[in-house]
Formats: sequence, C-alpha cells, structure tokens
Amino acid sequence: MSRLRFLLAFGAALVALWIAPLVLPLGDYTHNVVGLTFMFMAVALAWNWLGGYVGQISFGHAAMFGVGGFVAARIMLSSGLPFSAAWLLGGLAAGLFGVLWGHPTLRLRGPYFSIATIGVGEATRLVATYWSGFTGGSSGLSLPLAGNPTKYQLYWYGLYLLGAAVLISYGLARSRIGLGLSAIKEDVEAAGDAGVNPTLYQDVVLFLSGTMVGICGGFYASYQAFIDPQDMFSFDRSIGLILMAAIGGIGTVLGPVWGAVVFVIIQEFLLATFSELYLGLYGALLILIILFEPLGLTGLVQRLRRLPRRPAIPVTASGTAITADRRTP
Amino acid sequence: MGEVVVLAVSAVLLAGFYAAMAYGLGLIYGVLRIVNLAHGGIIMASAYVTWQLFDRFAIDPFLAIPIVLVVFFGIGVGIYLGLVRFLPRGPAGAVQSLLLLFGVWLVIRNVAYLLYSGNEQVIHTSYATSSVRILGGSFSAIRFAVFAVAIVALLALHLLLTRTYLGKAIRAVAQNPASCTLAGINVERIYVFTFGLGTALAGLAGVLASTLFAFNPSFGASELLKSFVIIVLGGLGSILGIAAGALVLAFAEVFAVYAVPPYLTTAVGFVLLVIVLVLRPGGLFGQRVLR
Repeated sequence: MSRLRFLLAFGAALVALWIAPLVLPLGDYTHNVVGLTFMFMAVALAWNWLGGYVGQISFGHAAMFGVGGFVAARIMLSSGLPFSAAWLLGGLAAGLFGVLWGHPTLRLRGPYFSIATIGVGEATRLVATYWSGFTGGSSGLSLPLAGNPTKYQLYWYGLYLLGAAVLISYGLARSRIGLGLSAIKEDVEAAGDAGVNPTLYQDVVLFLSGTMVGICGGFYASYQAFIDPQDMFSFDRSIGLILMAAIGGIGTVLGPVWGAVVFVIIQEFLLATFSELYLGLYGALLILIILFEPLGLTGLVQRLRRLPRRPAIPVTASGTAITADRRTP
Repeated sequence: MGEVVVLAVSAVLLAGFYAAMAYGLGLIYGVLRIVNLAHGGIIMASAYVTWQLFDRFAIDPFLAIPIVLVVFFGIGVGIYLGLVRFLPRGPAGAVQSLLLLFGVWLVIRNVAYLLYSGNEQVIHTSYATSSVRILGGSFSAIRFAVFAVAIVALLALHLLLTRTYLGKAIRAVAQNPASCTLAGINVERIYVFTFGLGTALAGLAGVLASTLFAFNPSFGASELLKSFVIIVLGGLGSILGIAAGALVLAFAEVFAVYAVPPYLTTAVGFVLLVIVLVLRPGGLFGQRVLR
C-alpha cells in the first residue's frame, strides 16, 4: 500500500469511526465495548512493535499496563491535573519502567527473552500486590468521579489512542527504523555489523511500546473507575496481548487490530457463557494458529487473495513473519 | 552461626529438587533447541496425577514414580508427534514452538481446573510430619527423601547420557543433527525420545513437588521460571552445571530471608538471572551446548 493510499484510508476510517456513534443507533453497551476494543487494538499494536517487528515475544506487558494505570490513577487522585495529562504521565512512567528491565534483558534473544519477561511480569505483580501504600493492595483503588471522563466520552479517546498506535505502527514498519528492526529480527550480529545499534533500537521500541501500553492502562483505569493490582498486572492480561497479536498475525503491520476484534468478541460473547473454558480456548486457538497459519488472519487473507491467480503457495518457515535468532546468550 | 548452618542444609536440600526440576527443560532445549514452555504445566499435571494415585489407589507418592515416569514419557511423545514435529526447525521455529507449547500449557491448566477446581491440594502421607534432626536443625524427612530421589535420577541420567549408545546419539544430535543423519542416526527418533525423556523428568519433578508443596492448577509458573534460571546459570553443559546452577539459586533464595520480605523470594531468582545475564551472558559456567 502506498503511503498516500494508506493515509487516505486511515483518514477516512478515523472520520467514519468518529461520527459513527453520532449517526448510528448503537446501544450503550455496544458503544462502550467498541470504545474498549479501540484500546485493546492500540495495546495489541504496541505489543507487536516489540513482539512482531523485532521478534522479541514479551510475556510481561501487563507490567507496563499496570504501572501506567496505577501511576495515572494516583495522579488523578492526588492532583488537579486533567485525566489526559495523568494518562500521559502514567504512560511515560510505564515506558521508563520498560526500559529499566528491558535494557538488560533485551540482549537475550528468542525464548530466553520471553522467559525473562515472565519473570518481569510475575515480580512486578508481586511487588504491586504487596505495595498497598501505592496500589491499594488487594482492595485496589477507586478513581474520583469528578474530572474523569464518562464511558460515553471514552469512545473517542479510545479512538485517538488507536489512531496514534496505527500511525506509529505504520511509521515504524515503513521507515529506516523498521528496516533496522527487521535486520535485528533476522540476525542481531549482522545488523550490528551493518551499523544498526541493536541495543538502542530495541530500547527505543520497548520505550514506545511501554508508553503506549501504559497510556492504555490509564485509559482502562478511567474506563473501569476502579483498578486492583491482581487484575491490572495479571498474567492473563499478558496472555491476552499475545493472543490478540497471534490471531491477527504477529509481525504484520495492522493484523493485531483484527486480532483484538476477535479477542473482544470471544471475551464478551463466548466467555460470558463458558467462563470456565477460557484458558483452554485461548490455548487451543494459539496451537491451531501456530500449526496452520502462523500469520493469523493476515496470513489467511493473503492466502485467499493469492488463490485465484496462481496455486496457493504453502506458507513455509521462511514465509512466516515470525523468526527468532537461534543464538542464545 | 547455627542458623546459617540450618539454612545452608535447607538450601542444599532445595537444590536437589531444583536440579531434578531443571534437567528436563535443559535436556529438551539442549537437543531440540526448543524451550518447553509447557514444562510448568507438566509439573502441575504430574502433581495431580500423583495425588490421584495416592487418593484413589493409596499408592505412595514415592512408589508412584515409575508409573508417573512412564505416563509422562508417553505424554511427551504424544506432544512431540502430535504438535512439535510440525514446526519448522531452527530460528523460525523457536518463537513458534514457544507460543505452541504455551498454548499446550494453557490447555493443561484448563483441564486441571475443570477436573479438580482451583482449590489447593495437599498430599497427606503418614510420614508427612516426621522430621530429622541434623546439625542443630529439624528438617522434614520428606525433604531428605526428595533429595535422595533427585540425586539418583540425575546420576541415572548422567550414566544414560555418557555410558550408553543411546546417550551418545542424543549428545551427537545436540551438537550436529545433519552429521548425525549422515552417520546413520535416526535424528527424528532421537527427538521423540528426548522430548519424552524431558517430559518424564518434568513428571518426576511434579511427583517431588507434590510431596513438598500444596498445588493448584496455576502451580508451575514459578517452577518454569526457576528451571530456566538454573539452566541459564549453570549452562547446558553437564550435570555439574545444572547442579551448580541449582545450588546458586537455592542458596540465593534461602539466604534472601535476611534481605527481603518472604513474598519476594520468587523475585530473587529473577534478579539473579538479570545480574548474571548482564555480567556473564554465557551463564556462570559458560557452556552452551549439551555435550
């Protein structure tokens, strides 16, 4: 897609979504869920910057979501700053926190990095749960109603977050930085030899990703008006991010957006009736995607598009966007 | 001084269990270059199997070990033949295998929830409360039994890998699968066997864990993490590397009581991991390949 076509499509979609609730009779429930879906899309895209573009699968992004949420909530509780400033500060705190743990661990590749992020997520969750002075411990924090946007208004803020995330996704993928990131993904040492500084690039991407996820954490705090550490920092939240990206296509530019839609549909409709099956469902989905279509929905669409013109090309190892370096520390 | 000695004994006992726990993960990684993210789930599942054998058939956990080993060897072979076999080898497969086995873990957890709910389970053996007094401290007898089983298992494994033809083939495949094919080794069969063996070892760790701790379907996450810390600390080089990694982790965790509140002991392993990776990216003992 050329840059112009992308920008036109982006602008049109943004405008359409912006005016949609004003002209379409969406119920309150649908309106709110769509607003929350925008946020999930933004988070999934942000995860994909690290997990897809660089190929560093993080199982610990809930840590940044939680840090962003709690810092934003604390700022809203203790100062007169507007909520958007609180979200931004929360996001910055989350981004810095990301670099704090990411700088040492991002030198690990592939599975080694992933497992380290499980540790990051768990350690952060433990500290947050026991640090009740800041997070309210197991009883959580309630946000003030005054100055907090309503769920109705949050639809548009969610849309702005999504817009920003889409622009960054596209910008990262189509720029010099994006080329550097794919180089790192294919071969760190070769990338280093070619003048790409892997440490710097990865730190910057994690900072961006953490900041976006943290801002979304602030959004989520405003949306729920109540947050507790067990929910914000839960491992399931990190799993959800991976799943959204995997459904849509890890490493594709906009795949996670569609993954988030499927994820929310599963969560809101299927799991309301089969709540005891959600882990198994997520697990089975992950297994099926990896075995049959590692590029998720995006891969499926690509495959269908190719069909009429020539025989389907089997998606092979080299055809997938997911690669990781075999080299370990 | 007495307290330090007691803690040291405690750490050594813990290290035995840790070493047995980590070896399955290290073996599979060393040979197949795949991190078995389902490792923690297998440990949890095996703890439940042990509990069921004890509860329904009154089979003592330690006597259940052969049954569990056979069952989980079969499960490992099943996971390999049913799922892992289809992944691309090499770098492209690394992340895919990670996500795939993570999916397996989620499914195992869900099955455990459905069958046994999220409640904590404990195995109450008749000797659960008996203790041994040694070096001025009182230790649960079970911890010594666990230590002994772990040491025997590690020695048996060491002998298998160094003294048998099969072990030689496994080590050869770990070094260079392509040459092994030329030399007439059925590499695929070695992969199947290794995955089964690694899973059986995780099963053994589950039996041992079930006698030491209460468990629920979420059990296993920190076991996976610790196993991983150990193989990074010790390298994948040898039984000695694993043992050293396990000792370092166990001592760090046990002596952390002087420095941090108890709920943070899980985080100790992680902090250790980061420190080691920053200072010595090749692991404490610097060997990467299973030899």
